[in-house]
Amino acid sequence: MGDYKFAKEKLAEVLSSLKDYKVFAPVAVGDVFRFLQVDDPAKVTLEFANSNVPPKELMFPETETLFKYRLGQTDIEPEVPDAGDKRLVFGIRPCDALAYTIVDNLYNWDFPDPYYQNRRENTTLVGFACADPCSNCFCPSLGGGPASEKGLDAIMFDMGDTMYVKTLTDKGEAFAKAAGLESAGDAEKKAAEKQAEEALGKIGRSIDTKGIPEHLPSLYDHPFWEQFSDRCLSCGICTFLCPTCHCFDIQDEAEGFDARRARMWDTCMFSEYTLHTSGHNPRPTRKERTRNRISHKYSYFPEKFDVIACVGCGRCINYCPVNIDILDILEKSKQAEAKEAKTA
Amino acid sequence: MVDTKRLQEKAKEVLIRDDVRRLIGWKRGTYGFEAAPTVITDASQVDQLIFDATCVQNPASFISLEEKKPVPRGAEPDTRKIAVMVKGCDSRAIVQQLVEKAYGRDDVIVLGIPCRGVIDRRKAMKMFGDVTPGNVSLNGDKVAVEVGGEKKEVERGELLMDKCMRCRYPNPLVSDDLLGEEVEKWADDEFADVDEFEKMVPEEKWKYWEEQFSKCIRCYSCRNVCPMCYCVECVVTKMKPQWTRRSTDISENTAYHIQRAWHLAGRCIECNECQRVCPVDIPIMTLNRKLTRDVKDMFEYEPGVDAEAEPLLACYNPQDPEEYIM
Repeated sequence: MGDYKFAKEKLAEVLSSLKDYKVFAPVAVGDVFRFLQVDDPAKVTLEFANSNVPPKELMFPETETLFKYRLGQTDIEPEVPDAGDKRLVFGIRPCDALAYTIVDNLYNWDFPDPYYQNRRENTTLVGFACADPCSNCFCPSLGGGPASEKGLDAIMFDMGDTMYVKTLTDKGEAFAKAAGLESAGDAEKKAAEKQAEEALGKIGRSIDTKGIPEHLPSLYDHPFWEQFSDRCLSCGICTFLCPTCHCFDIQDEAEGFDARRARMWDTCMFSEYTLHTSGHNPRPTRKERTRNRISHKYSYFPEKFDVIACVGCGRCINYCPVNIDILDILEKSKQAEAKEAKTA
Repeated sequence: MVDTKRLQEKAKEVLIRDDVRRLIGWKRGTYGFEAAPTVITDASQVDQLIFDATCVQNPASFISLEEKKPVPRGAEPDTRKIAVMVKGCDSRAIVQQLVEKAYGRDDVIVLGIPCRGVIDRRKAMKMFGDVTPGNVSLNGDKVAVEVGGEKKEVERGELLMDKCMRCRYPNPLVSDDLLGEEVEKWADDEFADVDEFEKMVPEEKWKYWEEQFSKCIRCYSCRNVCPMCYCVECVVTKMKPQWTRRSTDISENTAYHIQRAWHLAGRCIECNECQRVCPVDIPIMTLNRKLTRDVKDMFEYEPGVDAEAEPLLACYNPQDPEEYIM
């Protein structure tokens, strides 16, 4: 498709010209970055490594109303969220865009989820290539990369004073037109390709995923999980901040007679996630929960959908307060196998 | 500082005892400026144990985090001890847990570590970037950090946790064995941070907290890491009745944070773990610190310093102030 550019100092102007879209972009609150709907383009920043909370929340909000009703009455008002709204995510990192394509499998599977679908279809994704990946990024191991175009409609490269924009789909072209971007030439394109190559070289961590999905189930009762789960806090950081984790709970909330059914993020790391009404809990300790988190991403999900539910964004490593490092777990899972094979 | 050999030997000595089940300490992290807490059960694993200024986590948190499966009929429950390594601040959690009878003194073996401060990874990353340091050592008022093969020295206050710069208990307050020379106290706590915060008028404070609580994703890491949050069923996750909704919005998030802070009034031992673990940088300790000072001023009570003390909410003095009763 097309090659475009805009001066970085004109960022606010570019964003303001996107009047037909609901625009979401990275905004800083202190040192914390999050994709928020842009009310003031001056607040948007592109000086960020990646957002603390992944932009998965733009397709799968922390809490959303499914429908409203009145207690004691049978009428329900379905809430069709963001119906028809043209949305645009500006500055999404390639890993987080790749994550959408993975989660799509689930929301398209036995029942197409209209809430998720609606947003996905109506959203244009303008990516932002990483020139300086973080120390725990390992996206190339999962089929992505600092300048991966997968799932994106356009991708931007930070070239110092200007941003080079490469459009990848019709949606991306429409964005470039709406934003009134200037055309870019071969020089920018070459520089972007060079930057992408250099960025790839800066990735310091990796995992060879070959064989992992098939072999993790054989470690179901293996004690090796305990060396990680023993220090797990059983909090929601790794899963809530994971761009591919997609579990939710559904609860009813009433205020007087006005009630709603809402869904909200849930996590397999909480003990109540699997707690039965009887009081029995099939995942009674953090060992079973840690095993589930890793196995779901690297074994159960690929078994069902043929793709590993991890994009190598590194958030679960960066934010884990007790240094439970998914790459460490995966490497040790291979050793655990070897040991077992020897004794067998 | 603590000699690693001595620390590992002591750990080995403890772990080979028949009456010890597990030991909680620290090991080198896989990256960055923080160590990893570690739980070991076998004397052959002691080589991984370390102590230095990256050992920020509070091992006392992990005593109550252990979930025990139901004991099969006819079997005896495992009553062997847990050994735990603690810095001065961490040890206050043990003292307070003993005050609250969370477990008995004989259930734990406390290996005390005199501490001269630990690194704040947020400060370190601002200063040195997203890197993994080599050796880290404290020399007087300086911290020496090896970054990219180069040794850099910075002022202690620029790199250590804020709590360390007002630390009054660098030496463990409870310990069965001290693994190093006691260190001299270098600071005092005048609650300057609370004074500073209280300069805001109520409307400003409300706006401040609204912005902070709006960020909360309710991952409950602050609750789970807290050594004093050890209820088997937490009020915020209870479903029947549901006191706090699971949905995230400013109202429920605020309710959660107020409940969390109030349940720690007269109990918070200021290890700062809640604030450290927060993935969205909510200054949780500001709430705790305000309550800590109020409790100190009003009831002359400080939690986690005297294992013989009664819990604040379980003791009554006719002279207790009651200005807050309308």
